[in-house]
Amino acid sequence: MATVTAHNVGKITQVIGSTFDAKFPEDQLPNIYNAVKVSSDQKGVKIDLTGEIQQHLGGGRVRCVALGSTDGMIRGLDCVDTGAPVSVPVGENTLGRVFNLLGEPIDGRGPVESAEKWPIHRESPALEDLSTKTELFETGIKVVDLLTPFVRGGKAGLFGGAGLGKTVILTELIARIASAHGGNSVFAGVGERTREGTDLWLEMQEAKIGDTGRSVIEQTCMVFGQMNEPPGARLRVALTGLTMAEYFRDTTGTDTLLFIDNIFRFSQAGSEVSALLGRMPSAVGYQPTLGTEMGELQERIASTSKGAITSVQAVYVPADDPTDPAPATAFGQLDAFIYLERSITEKGIYPAMDPLASNSRILDPQYVGDRHYTIARRVQTTLQRYQELQDIIAILGVDELSEEDKMVVHRARRLERFLSQPFLVAEVFTGKPGEITSLQDTIRSFEEICDGKWDHLPEQAFMYVGAVEQAEEQAKKMQK
Amino acid sequence: MAKARALDKRRKSVRNIRKITRTMELIATARFKKAMDRATAATAYTARITQLVKDLATTGLEVSHPLLEGREQTKRSVLLVLTANRGLCGGYNSAALRLAIEKRQELLELSESLQLYVSGKRGINGFRFRKIEIAESFTHFDDQPRFDEVELLANRYMNAYVTGQIDRLDVVHTQFISTARQQAVAETLLPLDSLGGDDDGDSDNTARESMYEFLPSAESILQEVVPTSFKVKLFKCFLDAAVSEQISRMVAMKSATENADKMIKDLSMQYNRARQGQITGELLELMGGVEALDG
Repeated sequence: MATVTAHNVGKITQVIGSTFDAKFPEDQLPNIYNAVKVSSDQKGVKIDLTGEIQQHLGGGRVRCVALGSTDGMIRGLDCVDTGAPVSVPVGENTLGRVFNLLGEPIDGRGPVESAEKWPIHRESPALEDLSTKTELFETGIKVVDLLTPFVRGGKAGLFGGAGLGKTVILTELIARIASAHGGNSVFAGVGERTREGTDLWLEMQEAKIGDTGRSVIEQTCMVFGQMNEPPGARLRVALTGLTMAEYFRDTTGTDTLLFIDNIFRFSQAGSEVSALLGRMPSAVGYQPTLGTEMGELQERIASTSKGAITSVQAVYVPADDPTDPAPATAFGQLDAFIYLERSITEKGIYPAMDPLASNSRILDPQYVGDRHYTIARRVQTTLQRYQELQDIIAILGVDELSEEDKMVVHRARRLERFLSQPFLVAEVFTGKPGEITSLQDTIRSFEEICDGKWDHLPEQAFMYVGAVEQAEEQAKKMQK
Repeated sequence: MAKARALDKRRKSVRNIRKITRTMELIATARFKKAMDRATAATAYTARITQLVKDLATTGLEVSHPLLEGREQTKRSVLLVLTANRGLCGGYNSAALRLAIEKRQELLELSESLQLYVSGKRGINGFRFRKIEIAESFTHFDDQPRFDEVELLANRYMNAYVTGQIDRLDVVHTQFISTARQQAVAETLLPLDSLGGDDDGDSDNTARESMYEFLPSAESILQEVVPTSFKVKLFKCFLDAAVSEQISRMVAMKSATENADKMIKDLSMQYNRARQGQITGELLELMGGVEALDG
């Protein structure tokens, strides 16, 4: 924590929900984004709160967002300016540890000795420092590699409504990428379930990196500000995680992975405090500064000439409506976006990625090559045609289709099922070991299905397999 | 408004489809009645002829006729497939087509060459899509096949069979069992191995003794009766197919109309909900703005 300099002390004048006002001497007004501390012990109620200055109201008054609970706060309490934004420990010592947004360890393993502390508010990298390298990042998940190839050093988003498996896919990606990855990883839990965080933490302790015998957690640091925390905490915890990742990028020069679950909660927390700060609500009741806030965060997640940050972010889509301003703002920031669709989970296909709504910047012959591109588009065209025929099939039945369309439907139904894949982390649910499919196998499998080489296999054989040969095996098993 | 408008557009198109299917249903109902009457009328005649032939057979005469003689080797066979000219009749065409393809495969294994005759545009297109060659196709047999047209075809096959140009004739058509059940069947019409074999009549109960006297001779009567029996059988296939087509269409269109109704209902509900949601959202925004300005 930042050292508290005692000379600049103000008084609390007003407490409004999770924001509060304080009055400072006018010539010593703390800067915006500075952290202020309130500590007191009133009638047995201990208060140890950090706030962040958001606005100067004039007349020496400042408005702050509380980064903890404001319960028990009264007017007249002393409020100490720390002279700097919230600063968190960074560096090697943070690896293997779990923090809250203030950079305090919450895993019960004692304090973190760290030489360096970085403020969580930082400038995004300068224009000329940004890296423009574009390289495909293989995940071993068929549907992701084929239709929404990830970019090394880029940003990928997982969009989806409640209960579609965003967190599962994110954990799966951690299991796949982090365990094969040499560099460091940072996980930021923003406003999601604490239980999931604990699960992940335990899982990471068990999972091993390649053949080194070291567990994944040794190369990972985790930051949590979960659902139970006040909005201020959820608003800033993403920045804390990001700052730690930035340190690894800038100093060690390694490829750093940043996982954020869930970036929507960041916008949501912003909207919770926005009205309390006196801003007029904008579209759908969100804060008017939605775009600015998201932009400031996302622009910092960037790859520079010094090192790269590859980030995967889960984005909750309220009421399954992707036009909602919060997911819509996140949309434009990403290199690859995966859209999870409820109607696909209803068919029991996981990952429930919508092959038509999802896309990637590098799904372009220039980056992935002609063959990959052509096959991805063929798969999409087939599924697109199938979707167009849905209404006709629902009314008239499949028999009324022309022979060509029947063939399209026949293959599309197989492709649709082939997009599913058993996950490493879902082994307990599916009873099938996870499948890692190489990009070559993926492309070849989809090509062969599109060419009609596997038309004779029953649809069910394509469910939850890796490469297409496994579908053949499964078909044989089903016949027995 | 984007979502609501898209829903409304979809609902409109479903409504249009429903109009078509509803009309088709009514037309099919009317045509079915006509076709049914014709088929019933023909049934009486067919039954009578069959009965007559059966009686002939039980007289103990040495029945011999070129059409009745099977060939030792089936070299050239012919497959006639009856489908409809139009779609929108559920599984009628695809069931007949599926059976025809199976039958064709079977015949190809049996015989050296196979000629494929197809009636109905749907069947023609189906074979063309699968790149299967068709010897000749007909599209003039509609929902009321005429006897003289069928007779022409029957004469051709008979001549070809008698002169040894073909060794076997199979017909794939849809059999009308009842209004609730039609089935695609494959029948061997040539050689006519058993006279009146397709009729499950009560032959056991009929008098075993001949009540006929043949003038001028049994042979000359056979000359007449056997070809007629073949023609009638072929005609019956056409009639059955026509009735089945109409009843299939009626049933298919009825369920299509019902499906469309259900879809319109669902879409209306979604549309109303989307519209209402939008209004609520806008109101909330307005009120929120007013509150913020006041505060």
